[in-house]
Amino acid sequence: MSAPAVTRRPGGTDDAVGGVVPREVVRPGTVEEVADVLRAAAADGRTVVPVGGRSKLTWAAPPESCDLLLDVTGLDRIVEHVAGDLTVVAEAGVRLGDLQAQLGEAGQLLGLDPPEDGATLGGLVSANASGPRRLRYGTTRDLLIGITVVLADGTLARAGGKVVKNVAGYDLGKLYTGAHGTLGVVVSTTWRLHPVPPARRVVTLDLPDVAAAGPLSIALARSTLTPSAVELSGTAGGPGRLVVLFESIAESVTDQARSAVALLGGGEESDDLPEDFGRRPGGADDVLLRLAHAPAALAAVLAALPAGTPVSAHAATGVAYAAVPAAEAAGALPRLRAAIAEHDGTAVVLRAPDAVRDALDHWGPVGDSLELMRRVKERFDPERRMSPGRFVGGL
Amino acid sequence: MTAVAEPAVSDRTAALAEALRTAIGTERVLTDRTQVRTYECDGLANFKVTPAIVVLAESRQHVVDTVRLCSEAGVPFVARGSGTGLSGGALPSADGVLLVMSRLRSLGPVDADNRQVTVEPGVINLWVTRDAAPFDLAYAPDPSSQLVCSIGGNVAENAGGAHCLKYGFTVNHVLGAEVVLPDGEVVHLGGRAPEHPGYDLLGAFIGSEGTLGVATELTLRLIRVPEAVQTMLVGYHSVEDAAGTVSDIIAAGILPAAVEMMDALAIEAAEAAVSCGYPEGAVAVLVIELDGPQVEVEAQFRQVEEIARRRNAFETRIAADDAERGLMWKGRKSAFAAVGRISPSYFVQDGVIPRTKLPEVLAEMKRMADEKGLRVANVFHAGDGNLHPLVLFDDAVEGQAHEAEELAGDILELCVTSGGSITGEHGVGSEKRMKMAKQFTPADLDTMQLVRCAFDPDGIANPGKVFPTPRLCGERPGVRKGEHPVQAAGLGEVF
Amino acid sequence: MTEITPGSHGQGDAPPPGSPGASPNVGPVRDSVADLPSGAPTGAQRAADEAPAAVVGARRPLDIGQDIDLPAGTGAATVGTPTLLGLPGTRQAVQPAFDEHHPPDPALIGDCVHCGFCLPTCPTYVLWGEEMDSPRGRIYLMKEALEGEPLDDSMVRHFDQCLGCMACVTACPSGVQYDKLIEATRPQIERRYERSRAEKLYRDLIYNLFPYPRRLRALRGPLRAYQASRLGSLLTRSGLIRRLPAPLQAMESLAPKLGPVESVPERTPAVGQRRAVVGLLAGCVQGTFFPDVNAATVRVLAAEGCDVIAPRRQGCCGALPGHGGREEQALDFAKRTIETFERAGVDYVVVNAAGCGSNIKEYGHQLRDEPEWAERAEALARRSRDISEFIVEIGPVAERHPLPMTVAYQDACHLAHAQGIREEPRKLLRGIPGIELKPLVEAELCCGSAGTYNMLQPEPARELGERKAAAVLATGADLMVTANPGCWMQVATTLARMGERMPVAHTVQVLDASIRGVPVEQLLDRALNGPGTALTRPTPAQR
Repeated sequence: MSAPAVTRRPGGTDDAVGGVVPREVVRPGTVEEVADVLRAAAADGRTVVPVGGRSKLTWAAPPESCDLLLDVTGLDRIVEHVAGDLTVVAEAGVRLGDLQAQLGEAGQLLGLDPPEDGATLGGLVSANASGPRRLRYGTTRDLLIGITVVLADGTLARAGGKVVKNVAGYDLGKLYTGAHGTLGVVVSTTWRLHPVPPARRVVTLDLPDVAAAGPLSIALARSTLTPSAVELSGTAGGPGRLVVLFESIAESVTDQARSAVALLGGGEESDDLPEDFGRRPGGADDVLLRLAHAPAALAAVLAALPAGTPVSAHAATGVAYAAVPAAEAAGALPRLRAAIAEHDGTAVVLRAPDAVRDALDHWGPVGDSLELMRRVKERFDPERRMSPGRFVGGL
Repeated sequence: MTAVAEPAVSDRTAALAEALRTAIGTERVLTDRTQVRTYECDGLANFKVTPAIVVLAESRQHVVDTVRLCSEAGVPFVARGSGTGLSGGALPSADGVLLVMSRLRSLGPVDADNRQVTVEPGVINLWVTRDAAPFDLAYAPDPSSQLVCSIGGNVAENAGGAHCLKYGFTVNHVLGAEVVLPDGEVVHLGGRAPEHPGYDLLGAFIGSEGTLGVATELTLRLIRVPEAVQTMLVGYHSVEDAAGTVSDIIAAGILPAAVEMMDALAIEAAEAAVSCGYPEGAVAVLVIELDGPQVEVEAQFRQVEEIARRRNAFETRIAADDAERGLMWKGRKSAFAAVGRISPSYFVQDGVIPRTKLPEVLAEMKRMADEKGLRVANVFHAGDGNLHPLVLFDDAVEGQAHEAEELAGDILELCVTSGGSITGEHGVGSEKRMKMAKQFTPADLDTMQLVRCAFDPDGIANPGKVFPTPRLCGERPGVRKGEHPVQAAGLGEVF
Repeated sequence: MTEITPGSHGQGDAPPPGSPGASPNVGPVRDSVADLPSGAPTGAQRAADEAPAAVVGARRPLDIGQDIDLPAGTGAATVGTPTLLGLPGTRQAVQPAFDEHHPPDPALIGDCVHCGFCLPTCPTYVLWGEEMDSPRGRIYLMKEALEGEPLDDSMVRHFDQCLGCMACVTACPSGVQYDKLIEATRPQIERRYERSRAEKLYRDLIYNLFPYPRRLRALRGPLRAYQASRLGSLLTRSGLIRRLPAPLQAMESLAPKLGPVESVPERTPAVGQRRAVVGLLAGCVQGTFFPDVNAATVRVLAAEGCDVIAPRRQGCCGALPGHGGREEQALDFAKRTIETFERAGVDYVVVNAAGCGSNIKEYGHQLRDEPEWAERAEALARRSRDISEFIVEIGPVAERHPLPMTVAYQDACHLAHAQGIREEPRKLLRGIPGIELKPLVEAELCCGSAGTYNMLQPEPARELGERKAAAVLATGADLMVTANPGCWMQVATTLARMGERMPVAHTVQVLDASIRGVPVEQLLDRALNGPGTALTRPTPAQR
């Protein structure tokens, strides 16, 4: 546990958010201190960008300005884990890995598995990060049952609660999920948990053409099998590998894996996941895109990517990732967006190398609700001081 | 608390009625007093307000025209689906428009590969599963009123149901919505894809109880019908044993599709209504349902049986077929209205507690009821701690209605102090808005109302619901000054 | 708490001269044409003529009276001010709505908790999706009326549009007795509300024709009946005939193919050992249009060991006028029926028409005010059984011969909802070797026949008929079986209008065929072409 005291230091290049170097880095130790910091920032009109584990600092568009980098990793308390209720309250700076370790002792888990190392709860809420098991557990919007935030003016506000079933008031947790710090700072989160499944079985199938995953994932989704994940990796227009993960009691996973092999027309069974399971495609020199689309359109979406693009997909969910070489990204992006639009497909830039970052339209078209989003932003942050410019439409 | 307001046929609404007739057709605009009075309450019949105008919309355009005309005239509107809500969420505004969505009921076609279907809001919940069934798909949220409640109403209330323990609520099953904002603009939130760039306004909209706009089309996620479903009915001689069984099941790492509990009074009512054949002499019954792959269900079912035995279950019955399963559920699903058979009147309450607090909360509730000499029947989603105490009373006994209302309120506060919520699925509506302050601070409520102000700055969409104090949209967060036009117009009050 | 909205007809408004509907007194039903109001509109009515018209319900059939006088697109609701849209003298608002003679019971109304579970089973709610045309809404209207709202045109229309199918009674988890409520409301309307002249004539025609087997038998079809009758000539002379095409077409189109009247012997001895002496209610419509059914009933009962008494001089049991709110007429019929079967000395009265069965079972309630009748009525009600209920009760003994076919059994509302008899007919059918039952979708939804409903409200009846016919066809069954003449006519004529043909039979005819060993082909042929089957002819909708 960290000492509850605000630490401050000048910002450096290591602290840069999308290339923007903050003037100052502040690390409060308590929720109240976060409120104090924001009240002070409001008083002198400073812009604020909240950060957690910095695993996704390069995600989203760069901020227009960053006077203050608000580091919430000091809020690192797991406040309350009630195993009998399958709920946990944890502060925003708690790292997902630490939380899972503690929950695991009680045979429970939080059903989020984004691959970024060191991610904090606040960060993964704000970036709406997800991983392969979203097929089974859903994403932040399905698991977050309560939230505490500090608004731009320092107001401390809470929504939801500690019970899974609760419809009292608006669900602000949804609004803060994926908002990239533009509506305020997430300081505490409450989650619904799941029991750790006792057994695992994995079916791995190599595909000569990655697009074959499309019909296979439809077949899996329409079957009575209940995989935790159907994870695809490979290159567009080239070969791929489909990993189907079953997690349940031993009898069930054995039985299901066998059925899956029959359904897929092949595949290797094993107890272990491949080491790179769920990893985002490409490397630091690529522009990493997150593609979302109607789930059955996976093959069409893969076909719309430039041949040779490294890809991965949480198949059967409608989410895929593509690593486009930096030099080609600016040109490829509009074409890709147009091509997948008919499948309600969108492509957002998660991560881009410094050299091309400013030339990209990170979010792409938002649709007819952008004006409404702008009105929401104006209500929560009328002075545009919270992560300005990081979000859609320059919000 | 009963309010009967006469319809003030003010000049404003008379002119609006005329404009509405011109815009959407005379036959869709009701102002005849005897007709509009049939709309003065929803499923919560002790709250009544007669609307000035009832609009029977048949298309998105009718909704757009109605909302726009209301906006221009500064007249509030309340959208209503099947009128089965239990918190007065569709209580009309006197001098306002009640926008009836029941006729917008086109459904489908089912997109089996994407496991989706797009429906109009007047479509009845159960119809979705009926249409999806040939594809081995189903719509998961199944509120007890599913054979009559509308999808639009489900979205407004973020309806749950017995199976949300495993499958989640309406918000987890709605992918996209076409929404008419309170100024008549049409926006599309979400869609057929699981994610969209921008704020999750769909997530905020679902469960906003009609205060942010009116949905005219919804894209729903369908789930694959599981390979196996097994349902068992377990009888107990004590509520504690039943509650203990639930805890033990969860502790064993089993996530049932549903765990429902009924106490002796509720069992008596259900028997009287639908002859569901629950175990005789039971003080509590559990309806436990497991679903999933056959081998998994079978193994876990054996485990659950063993747990129930250890917790002194005196009778365990396993549904042999769909008909028996249907009967087990019928008793549970008809329980609310069935209580009408054992008591002249009753309040249906809806509160949530952390599951682990079940035994102590039930004991305390019993003590509170005894103190007032009232009976409380309990029907609840035990798996997720969602209680539905039914406070029985007799109108004919002087003062009993008041006592019962007080007890119902006290039970909610008990839920909040136990770490729970004032509503798990019925919504806040008109009934519980004053209770919101027990669960949330003024800052919490003001922050929620920032959303309201973004969607509906004039406060004309279902005013007087959810919040004890309407947000004054001209203000900055945290500060309140002066009288807002909403107050001045009598659309809201400050408490 | 009564507030009269500006311009509405309150108690203080003078009713049109000679209007019996405005009288608060309980009196005999006046049905003489001499009582009809003069044609001159009142001042208020003229003013209302100029008021903007508000119409209730899209896709809603216009009332018969309105159908006559209105240009297309107008209807009949009011906007604060009354609007005269019917025949002269029809616009009214009776206040108080109900008189003291058995108004709907507030305690029964209080049973409704407004949960809405009745909505999806209500045929008119299914069609129109509006509260006033749902059971919950109609109960609310009754409550309003008890609270002081006037019985006005729109309220009457919503009550009239109820089919009385009682599906809501089955669906209601709170046990609301909607049947009692609507049956208490209809006579109030008939006593207190003045219908338009044309509608009144039309109703008189129906209620002076259908409950009288001899009048029915004397005619080859309702159209001829009305042309030949005094009413018919009156309609012709007054020029009203031109204005009545749709409903009369409806009436005419429903009449099935008539066969020779197969007379049923007054006494038929049991085959083998006698197990009971039963009386047969011959019914009016059943006996006239479906004489085969009575003959089959007698044979089946005899085969199952019953002496069957079919009293010669029996008439309508009162169901038709009763469901139409014609209380006096209904009670007269009830008393005659009670006397007839008391004299017959039978253990049971067996009924093969669902509507009649449910009515007879209500005799005790209907005659509760008349001390000399109440007990006798109750006694007869207790001894009454539907044919399927009766055979299941005594236990079938006659040998069944195979009838290899698929059967779509259609629940008659007055059997399933009003009498709660669903399983018995199915059990008997399944008891015949070779029969496979095919379930219907929307089985609980009324076919639109509903006694006289398809004559009084032809448009919704037609829509419901098509829904039911489609559901029956979708089963792909060889034979549709039902237990009510109204359902039979409704579905058969709808199928004919849709250009489809399907054999239709009564449950008891199938039992009879099985017991007698009639080949399945012969049964199906007679069910397709024999008496009671539909004639094919154009309908108003097709013209």
